[in-house]
Amino acid sequence: MKKYFRELSVAAALGILLLALGIFAPSFFQPQPLLSLVTREAPTLVVACGMALVIICRQIDISVGSMFAVCSVCAGLLAAMHWPLALVLAASVLIGAVFGAFNGALVAGLGLPSIVVTLATMVTWREGLRWLRQGVWVDLPNDVQWFGLPQMAGQWTLVLVALTILILLALAMKHFSVGRFIYAVGSDAEAARLAGIRPRLLTFGVFVFMGALTGLAAMMNTIQSPQVDPNSGTGLELKTIAAVVVGGVAISGGRGTLWGVFAGLLLLACISPALTHLHVEAFWGKVIQGAIILLAVVADGLRTRKQRN
Amino acid sequence: MNTDKHGLKKNLLRHETILFVVLVAEWLFFDVIGHNFGTYDNTCDILRHYCEIGLLALAMTPIILTGGIDLSVASLLGLCAILFGKFWRDAGMPIPLAAACTIGVGALAGGLNATLISWLRLPPLIVTLGTYSLFRGLAEAITHGVDTFTDFPNSFLFLGQERWLGIPAQAFVFIIATIFFWLLVHRTTFGRSFRAIGFSPEGAHYAGIPLGRRVAMVYVLAGVVSAIAAIIYTARLGQAKADAGTGYELFAITAVVLGGTSIFGGVGSIHGTLLGVAAIAVLHSGIAHAVLPGEMAGMLTGLLLILALAGSILPKMISGLRARKSAPRLAKQIP
Repeated sequence: MKKYFRELSVAAALGILLLALGIFAPSFFQPQPLLSLVTREAPTLVVACGMALVIICRQIDISVGSMFAVCSVCAGLLAAMHWPLALVLAASVLIGAVFGAFNGALVAGLGLPSIVVTLATMVTWREGLRWLRQGVWVDLPNDVQWFGLPQMAGQWTLVLVALTILILLALAMKHFSVGRFIYAVGSDAEAARLAGIRPRLLTFGVFVFMGALTGLAAMMNTIQSPQVDPNSGTGLELKTIAAVVVGGVAISGGRGTLWGVFAGLLLLACISPALTHLHVEAFWGKVIQGAIILLAVVADGLRTRKQRN
Repeated sequence: MNTDKHGLKKNLLRHETILFVVLVAEWLFFDVIGHNFGTYDNTCDILRHYCEIGLLALAMTPIILTGGIDLSVASLLGLCAILFGKFWRDAGMPIPLAAACTIGVGALAGGLNATLISWLRLPPLIVTLGTYSLFRGLAEAITHGVDTFTDFPNSFLFLGQERWLGIPAQAFVFIIATIFFWLLVHRTTFGRSFRAIGFSPEGAHYAGIPLGRRVAMVYVLAGVVSAIAAIIYTARLGQAKADAGTGYELFAITAVVLGGTSIFGGVGSIHGTLLGVAAIAVLHSGIAHAVLPGEMAGMLTGLLLILALAGSILPKMISGLRARKSAPRLAKQIP
């Protein structure tokens, strides 16, 4: 109970929000719009899982939004060339992994600070994509949307894929040695090295994995609509970092769980539709999102302050 | 760290010299291939357009020196621009009073960051990520996303659009701010304490530096400077909108890091930041004048940033290999 206090308190906040919606705006709980909302957030959840690993490893990746856009456009172009979807998916994941490997090589290989490296790659990939594509949308063939499944089935597939990844990763982080290694490197890379872990290799791997997950998420996003937006993924990095932080992962690494990230993401994702249902102007969504982030860290700060005294 | 203090100083000097050479090369290159690039008018234009980013970068330098970061400066610029318009149009204040109130709001908003970061000791990256969202959201909520403020009097627009004594009027504000920050960082004990905090907060604490107050100071200063930048931005464009200055925080951070300030704090200079801003400004303007695709500017900025970083770390790596100590370690994350 005490161990998962942070995760539970975010889940409680989410519960209260849903309860309030149930009382004041029951229209929020119509199954179809709710399913659409969850489907829209499914790719974000996949990216947020990767981001959680990166942050637990005491790094950060703010280039995910740009990687997401590049992977989306590449996947769209390949799909438009009538590649089989399985191959497109593999290509998208691979492209993401290559971009991730680039970040990883600079961070783990050269020892450059991840925030600056990914800031640079964020700008570079985004502008490069704009240059090459000039902002043209990619039209997809008809059978690509929802993998050619009926919409309902497609939506459920995406949600289940995202949840499977979440559950597998959460279990792996707790029970597999690789997961424990990531926590160890995040807490203290030097101590981890002395304990026989190879922090640089692991960090490189985490960045590659982050890229691969971003590629997967891009594919999950691409098949949701008949066209690919070349500007997709703008602000994705901040959205996922916010979810990770609200979910109780320490930005200084080594602490936090994916369950918390899941609760944090749901909480943040519910806000703007909730506002619509409560007839509040949608512009307040950003304010509330900022306030939730601050509230979450202030709560953390007050708790550690108490422990210090 | 202390063993190669002398070498570090040399390194720093070298970084800025290289950046200066890059800047001159950029200038000459675009002067040759661009149309009307090297003219006096265009120089004034560059000054005009990059004044706000320059101001934000100046304020960002002491923050990064202390090992912190502020992602919220551009959002605060947007909020302050809106509030300035509100004070002037809706509250009927005269321009100087409205400007003073806006700067007051900027200081308050910076104070919010400062309180959370220095009093509760929260990570600056996350606090300012929160206020990044909060300030921009407030700006949008106040204007409902559509309201803009225009029709400012000509005497006010002078600040952003006209020249005084032959140079753009806002350049004077920038020059004053530069002198202020240069003196603060390089000629006062405050500047030394920022570096000390960046090197080692613990050590600075035991050396008797009031950590909380010094850290709070740099964030409040950033708030004030963001407000000033907001006023100049409004004067330059003649209108205030909620999306004012979107993405400027990245430009400012890029300029500071490009200028040789370590993202982990402790090392850096105001003149380096100035060179960083100039390098970015000349690159963007030059590419526009040479009728090259505008996206190239962003790409090159990113590449330049990576190269600058790699360049700053290579000598250390080589000396590390020579010393055959341990393998190069992972860079620490911002606290």
